[in-house]
Amino acid sequence: MTPHDSSSEEFITPGGRVSPSELLTPDSMSSREQTVLAAEVAKGHSPAPLADDESTFAVFVPLWRQRMRIFMQNKLAIASVIYIALIFLFCFLGPVVWHSNQTDQATALFNPENAPPSASAWLGTDASGYNELGRIMFGGEYSLSLGLLAGFVTIVVGTLYGMIAGFLGGLVDTVLMRLLDAFLSIPVLFLLITLVTVFPRTVTSLIVIIGVIGWFGNARIIRGDALLIKELEYSQAARSMGGGNWHIIRRHVFPNSVSNIVTVSTFAVADAILFLTTLGYLGLGMPLPATDWGTMLNNASQYLANGYWWQLYPLAVIFILLIVAITYVGEALRDAFEVRLLER
Amino acid sequence: MIAYLIRRFVQSIAVLLIVMFVTFVLPYFESGGILAPAYVILQNHATPAAVHAFAAQNGLLKPFYVRFWDYLTQLILHGNWGYSWKNQQTVWSLMVTYIPRTIWLALISLIITVLIALPLGAYQATRRNSVFDYSATSVLFILYGVPAFLLCLLIITWFSIGTIHLPTPPTTDSAWLIFTDPKAFILPVAALTLLNLAFLSRFMRSAVLDVLVQDYVRTAKAKGCSQRRVLFRHAFRNALGPIVIILGLFVPGLFGGALIVESVFNYEGIGYQTVNAATYSDIPTVLGITLLTTILTLFGNLLADVALGVINPRVRVEGRS
Repeated sequence: MTPHDSSSEEFITPGGRVSPSELLTPDSMSSREQTVLAAEVAKGHSPAPLADDESTFAVFVPLWRQRMRIFMQNKLAIASVIYIALIFLFCFLGPVVWHSNQTDQATALFNPENAPPSASAWLGTDASGYNELGRIMFGGEYSLSLGLLAGFVTIVVGTLYGMIAGFLGGLVDTVLMRLLDAFLSIPVLFLLITLVTVFPRTVTSLIVIIGVIGWFGNARIIRGDALLIKELEYSQAARSMGGGNWHIIRRHVFPNSVSNIVTVSTFAVADAILFLTTLGYLGLGMPLPATDWGTMLNNASQYLANGYWWQLYPLAVIFILLIVAITYVGEALRDAFEVRLLER
Repeated sequence: MIAYLIRRFVQSIAVLLIVMFVTFVLPYFESGGILAPAYVILQNHATPAAVHAFAAQNGLLKPFYVRFWDYLTQLILHGNWGYSWKNQQTVWSLMVTYIPRTIWLALISLIITVLIALPLGAYQATRRNSVFDYSATSVLFILYGVPAFLLCLLIITWFSIGTIHLPTPPTTDSAWLIFTDPKAFILPVAALTLLNLAFLSRFMRSAVLDVLVQDYVRTAKAKGCSQRRVLFRHAFRNALGPIVIILGLFVPGLFGGALIVESVFNYEGIGYQTVNAATYSDIPTVLGITLLTTILTLFGNLLADVALGVINPRVRVEGRS
């Protein structure tokens, strides 16, 4: 770390002079994280503030801030985050600012049906006379909130299942993994359709059903992590000092697999929204008077040959870009956590 | 290798039993219990006597474990997959008619997908962060983001209703449509291929990227191997392992994708029949189809294990961990 040593005055920490490499390796860090830091330092991204910073202390930059920086360097990922935020604002704040009737079928029937975009209805109306722009917000509220909650369920279930299987190992692991194999062998859509036809379609049951369908893959990834981490030196050290299972899971296994959990959860949310939309398309989405994007796309598809483009394309573009953005954020997060790519 | 395969086979049987149990027990959770489908089949105004007769005829009045045992023994000893309530034919005859049509669709599209995805992913990995990589990635991302049904709808709008007029599959029971009317297959196969392309080529790209940073690739470069030799002898060969496993795990996804493609294109395959059966609460049909696709999936996994043994000699000796 020669460039910083020359201005050593500036790098005196409250605890005395410390070399950056010492600063950077708190014992709680995994070897994988240390490699990240080594790579960061090697690339010249010193985690310590640069000399032209006015600071007088070499502040230890937390790991998440360094990863944040890697993430922030990815301009497309930033754009994706902004887009996702905008869509959420549009769907949840939009109806507050600009109200349109989306639930009263009787009143809506006074509007012209399938009307093209005009000054009064910017994106036209749908087959029931509902304002399409307001409908996208209204359906989006269901699609997004259901997607988020269902994604959350998949993460919680998948993480718990994977952690238990990977950490306990042995017979428990074998049994849990064979069960998982069984679930993975049923084509997801078949299971989804069966479940949705069997249970009543309410908000809660849709969240639970999509949540229950989506966690298989997550569990596998988290299990792999747990299996790996519990064998690492620091976990073994904790055990040798008398740490119990719960302690090791809480202080070592879980914190060190957070990277995978975070990455997997972005994909889980995207998948959940996709599942919900597919259900909606099959006519198994939110029942009236509620609606969701899949149901709307299904309705729009009935008029494809009539050329009512305003019912299909605006929503389709918003939707596809949203899924792309969420997926891209997931990829960017994975890059931010990825050690080996930094070495290149 | 043989012992390993036998172990995998026994595990597959166990998995199959679990799947059977899960699908068998599901209808019991329906509001209205196991008799609810009877009302759907017999229409809503069915008299209680008619429903009772239907239930008695189909063994719905017996306790759960007796029904499960009956189903198991009938299936294993007599090859009896049950009787479709809605179609008034045996589930087996239904599947024999429609499964080949789905397999044609899925198989052709899988072959095309692999032929495109693997070279594409590998090329992207070797040209990481080039203009080509970025543009291919963005196209693939969009393909990944498009819901299956929307892609099919757009394909129909643009290539079947629009100026380019390609035919969509006609309604027929023939399993040999692929030979009598290959043109009708272009759109469904294209849709299914595009659907699976993104996933597979992304996977190939990261598999090759993973391999390219390994020490043995660096060693190969260092000792003076040509670029071609490094890529083909060292990188791709090792990247193929994960790809083969993922292809085995890919079978359910293939069926799921086919399900959507079939219902949008009105292509009467097994997915189309599943949606129909599910809508009409035709439980024996749903059960039978789920079971058969599960068997095909497990078979795919076994096949992937064998292929892995061919590619990677280490697996042959000790078995996959």
